[in-house]
Amino acid sequence: MESALETVALAGNPNAGKTTLFNALCGTAEKVGNYSGVTVSVKRGEFYTPNGRKLELIDLPGCYSLTGGTPDQQIAGNVLLGENSDHARPDLVVCVLDSSNLERHLQLALEVIELNLPVIIALNMVDMAEKTGLRLDPVKLSEELGVPVVPIQANRGKGLVELKQAMRHPFPASPEPRWESGNAEARRRFGFDTAELAARRPTLHSSNFSDKLDTILLHPVLGWICFIGIMFALFWSIFSFAGIPMGWIESLQDFLTGTVEGAMAGGDLRDLLTQGVIGGVGAVVIFLPQILLLFFFIGLLESSGYMSRAAFLMDGFMAKVGLSGKAFLPLLSSYACAIPGVMATRTIDSAKERLVTIFVAPWMSCSARLPVYLLLVPMLLGGSEGGSMQALVFLSLYVLGTLTAFVVARILRGRLGPDEVKSHFLLELPPYRWPQWSYIFRHVLDRGWAFLKNAGTVILGIMILLWAATTYPKLESDDPGEVLAHTIVGRVSAFIEPVVKPLGFDGRTGTAILTSFAAREVFVGSMAQLFQIEVSDDEQETRDHIRDRLAAEKWPDGRPMFGPAAVISLLIFYIYALQCLPTSAVVAREAGSWKWAVGQFVFMTLFAAGASLLVYQIARLFNLA
Amino acid sequence: MAHATVQDLEIDSLQSLAQAQVGCDFRIRALEGPGCEQLRHLGFCETLQVRKLAGGRNLICSVCGTRLAVSSALAEQVIVSPVTP
Repeated sequence: MESALETVALAGNPNAGKTTLFNALCGTAEKVGNYSGVTVSVKRGEFYTPNGRKLELIDLPGCYSLTGGTPDQQIAGNVLLGENSDHARPDLVVCVLDSSNLERHLQLALEVIELNLPVIIALNMVDMAEKTGLRLDPVKLSEELGVPVVPIQANRGKGLVELKQAMRHPFPASPEPRWESGNAEARRRFGFDTAELAARRPTLHSSNFSDKLDTILLHPVLGWICFIGIMFALFWSIFSFAGIPMGWIESLQDFLTGTVEGAMAGGDLRDLLTQGVIGGVGAVVIFLPQILLLFFFIGLLESSGYMSRAAFLMDGFMAKVGLSGKAFLPLLSSYACAIPGVMATRTIDSAKERLVTIFVAPWMSCSARLPVYLLLVPMLLGGSEGGSMQALVFLSLYVLGTLTAFVVARILRGRLGPDEVKSHFLLELPPYRWPQWSYIFRHVLDRGWAFLKNAGTVILGIMILLWAATTYPKLESDDPGEVLAHTIVGRVSAFIEPVVKPLGFDGRTGTAILTSFAAREVFVGSMAQLFQIEVSDDEQETRDHIRDRLAAEKWPDGRPMFGPAAVISLLIFYIYALQCLPTSAVVAREAGSWKWAVGQFVFMTLFAAGASLLVYQIARLFNLA
Repeated sequence: MAHATVQDLEIDSLQSLAQAQVGCDFRIRALEGPGCEQLRHLGFCETLQVRKLAGGRNLICSVCGTRLAVSSALAEQVIVSPVTP
């Protein structure tokens, strides 16, 4: 795609701080993190130079070389070489270098200089480099390379004015390489010699904070204890801390319902607003605090540098299922949302391993499953929300999804056969850093807004349709069951009940599952509507009300409809079913074939139904129904 | 009688990074094997100094101030010699 503006590309090794600089220059909140491979696609933005010229900025995925590498790294090389049909060759390249690792990061900068493009070097994280005792000489570096060198601290916005000054028109002239262009060995030698001149390292290796912390967090025993502890704390927090903001949302919901009921006469329109819109959408929006907390904690792990350590710890385990520790990072991201998780598989070297990871990533329980779990888990334990026991069950659901994903990955990996070129585990362990709070909060708010937008569009639309389907055609009768049976939903429920009954569900639950195939969080709102559950006036009892109502539901023979067997069966279905159309679209793009996306959808749906059937029937044998 | 030269002694002390002792500094002497291009991109190059920080299935080492986790199979392809103080 050609752009009218002149283009500046940010290039550099992974985890050099390119996206942090991109956000600082463009005022955006693109995803950043303290590990390699956060950016896997090209990001675009715009900014102004000090003399008012508008420039387009493109943030390239990190790469170690312009040739070869993983798919995300190849994108960067292709753009800089002018071989990418979607992006024109940039007019200026800003090479972002981590000052602490000049020897390594300079190699890519030298390759870029050979491209005969105007180049500026942004020497990032100079503060951290100097803390380790490194003595940097940007002037010397500039003299040796023949390009402007600007020391910056992108995370604190330092040096940005100077960097923009360097990007003023006319752009600096393309430098003449001072080594034999195209000769990798000569380039490497020049890079090391230059780094030695421009960055003097202390001769003694002394243990720093990251070294000391790693002796615990990467310890074969202590490391695992910490890992499990961190994961448990994450889920316990989601259960415990969200109560207060959830109360606020409930209050708002009650206030809106009361206002509408007070202002309008009874009738279909009032029912649509109170039951369909406020009740249905509210039943989903209520879980916003938990979703924000999940994104907050994953953001903390990403920006602190712990993600790479988790991948390191998991590598041995992942090898047993035919994957590597690198596959763990996309899988961990999928706990928040499968879409970035599937995209993050671009960092995996092996194409076959990448396909397998894409296939199983949706089994990592994403944030959209949270509302369903939060509704059902307390029903299983027969109590109200909160407590360590529920957190434990909650964690078990995540573990079950993850373990099943691993088993399927093992089988699938075996069927795909070995790689033509064996890939090895090789991962950078970045130093631990204090989280970038401003970024984390912006990211969390963005995700929250995306969730609310979804609630206000897709979920609202489904809720309105569902309300209409549960209301029409109308029947004059005093028996609510008879009225519902006469409606469209009643007829659909009666039709699908024989199919879902062996799984432990009645027709209404089956219909609620059907409605949630576009977005699984719709299930909660659908259940509230289909079981005609009114929004309580009591601020803290609305969800308990849903549970009480479901617990009181009985089959015609008097058995409880939502006994432990049915609840477990429902949970199992939601762990395994792929009910997210956007994920299928991204899978089709990343796997390069709709066959994979369709195959994945069919397989996961059948697997979910099969697992639910099995669990329910076994539970019935043990009289848990 | 022929005497061992410094070069001979150095050749005798060559070992793979996988075999090298944890906590010691080494100099990279050669990269031999199918994974060496991947290693070079990440900064593993001849003459650079490397400190092995931990061993195991994946070992941890420090090169130019960067900590890297490297599979032991890949570390077998990195030939090092001890750095004498």
